[in-house]
Amino acid sequence: MSMEDNKPIDGAEYINMGDAKRLKLPFFEGLAAGFPSPAIDYQHESLDLNEKFVHHPEASYFVRVRGESMIDLGILDGDICLVDRQEEIYDGNIVVAFVNGGLTVKTLDTSTKDKGYLRLIPANSKFKPIIIDADDQFILQGKVTSIHRDTRKY
Amino acid sequence: MYAIIDCDNCYVSCERIFRPDLNGKPVCVLSNNDGCVVARSNEAKALGIKAGLPYYQLKERFPNGEVTVFSSNYELYGDITDRVMSLVRKAAPTFYRYSIDEGFCDLSGMEHFDLKRWGEDLSAFIWKATRMPVSIGIAPTKTLAKMASHYAKHYKGYNHCCMIGSNEQRVKALQRYEIDEVWGIGRRYTARLQALGIKSAFDFASHAESWIRATLNNVVVIRTWKELNGIDCIPMEDMSKKKSICTSRSFPGMVTDMETLRTSISNFAARCAEKLRKQESVAQTVCVFIDTNHFREDLPQYWNMAEERLLTPSNSTQQIVQTATKCMERIFRQGFHYKRAGVIVMGICPYNGIQTNFIDYDAERFEKLKRIDEALDRINREYGSETIVLGSQQYTAKGGKGKAGVFKDSIKHDFRSPCYTTRWSDIPEAT
Repeated sequence: MSMEDNKPIDGAEYINMGDAKRLKLPFFEGLAAGFPSPAIDYQHESLDLNEKFVHHPEASYFVRVRGESMIDLGILDGDICLVDRQEEIYDGNIVVAFVNGGLTVKTLDTSTKDKGYLRLIPANSKFKPIIIDADDQFILQGKVTSIHRDTRKY
Repeated sequence: MYAIIDCDNCYVSCERIFRPDLNGKPVCVLSNNDGCVVARSNEAKALGIKAGLPYYQLKERFPNGEVTVFSSNYELYGDITDRVMSLVRKAAPTFYRYSIDEGFCDLSGMEHFDLKRWGEDLSAFIWKATRMPVSIGIAPTKTLAKMASHYAKHYKGYNHCCMIGSNEQRVKALQRYEIDEVWGIGRRYTARLQALGIKSAFDFASHAESWIRATLNNVVVIRTWKELNGIDCIPMEDMSKKKSICTSRSFPGMVTDMETLRTSISNFAARCAEKLRKQESVAQTVCVFIDTNHFREDLPQYWNMAEERLLTPSNSTQQIVQTATKCMERIFRQGFHYKRAGVIVMGICPYNGIQTNFIDYDAERFEKLKRIDEALDRINREYGSETIVLGSQQYTAKGGKGKAGVFKDSIKHDFRSPCYTTRWSDIPEAT
């Protein structure tokens, strides 16, 4: 059982984790002669989904959800999860984990840690929690930081 | 001080990121065409699997899947290593990527930091963020840093980072280092040095410079000698942006006819043009080489290369392919079995710095080619590489009728992993 992702790393202050956002520059249409546009002082970057959702681009990847095990949390079959390995994981977070040969997305429950096992809780009463003990192959892959769905089909 | 950051068993580690079940197990990655082993996990190395082992021999030795095998998936390796290098770039004042899996940092101005600790933390951070294990070597010269990274890789006690800080550490590191492992000493010079009784890096570095100059008058060897003695003399520029791009390949079988060879050359050239556009640069010279199979001593051998200078530096697929095929036609000789060929584009400079040649420069044509290339890149990015190719890039169909299979399909990659991070169709699934 590997929980190494769970502890914050030491000495991170040495590493400039920096500004991970994509650099975007405002776009000026040529240089007009005559009166400057009054809007120019209010020039602002347009909104970028990457900036809003992808906090650590090097540590993030996408995973597609299959099945109905998380529907009560609004995570549906076909949804795309953004998974971030750099985010610290705490009890109650939605995580992606590699369990006995496959990936699963569930809520992490560490409240039973003292009894020697962890639980991965589905969000659907038809599914049972997955019990993880020392015999299981369990590797946390990262925290789910957002869910994305194309709603044009609705 | 310099730091070198080197991915451990890079290709294997990339494959393991999305297959964590393979940690601790023997894994190999095969060359293009699934020809031979190019990357091995430590467990595979422990089984005695050597780099370059032909795949069919690997299969004979381990017929029951004891070793997990992957075809090379450069799309995946490129994306993962880009992430690693991007993290390093953010952690150091100056950074130069040297190859797909290693890069140098100039740590000037960071001397007041505990650099050993900085390296350990960076390695731990990269592991956490990307799941790529990296080894870090820190030393006053790049050659010594490379040596330090070797120690970091092979001895667990260093905690992924080895620093050669003092003269005492330098001497100790040199004494335990075989001369053939030294960066900058090629195979040819290794043999000569060993014949002269030089076994370790220390033996080499302790000779007087005058002796080195008199015995082996080679710029790189002398530079290496200085670097091992703590004299920093490899300029960073030598490490930075590629001055040439090479696309070459061994053929699955052997090629005897000019038509097939021309098709391969067209594909290599198209790949070079694509790489040039990707890094927003243009090339001045196109060079082509062809080679027979040296392992087939029963067959006549032939090797040749030809190059041509472009009047105006270019990154246009059409121009580079045309020039490359012209070069190939100049050196092709009938009656040989060709095993390997390649295209190298040289004299690379940024796209915006082109010196146009007035005789060659035709603004309208230039604009047209540029638009075609842009459309080509867009379509191939959207629908997968080689959705659109030049006619000359297509191989003749079996039976000799018309053009059919594209380059992509002519390469074997039976064990290719999904492109987990670069294609929406390939992202991992979770239940």
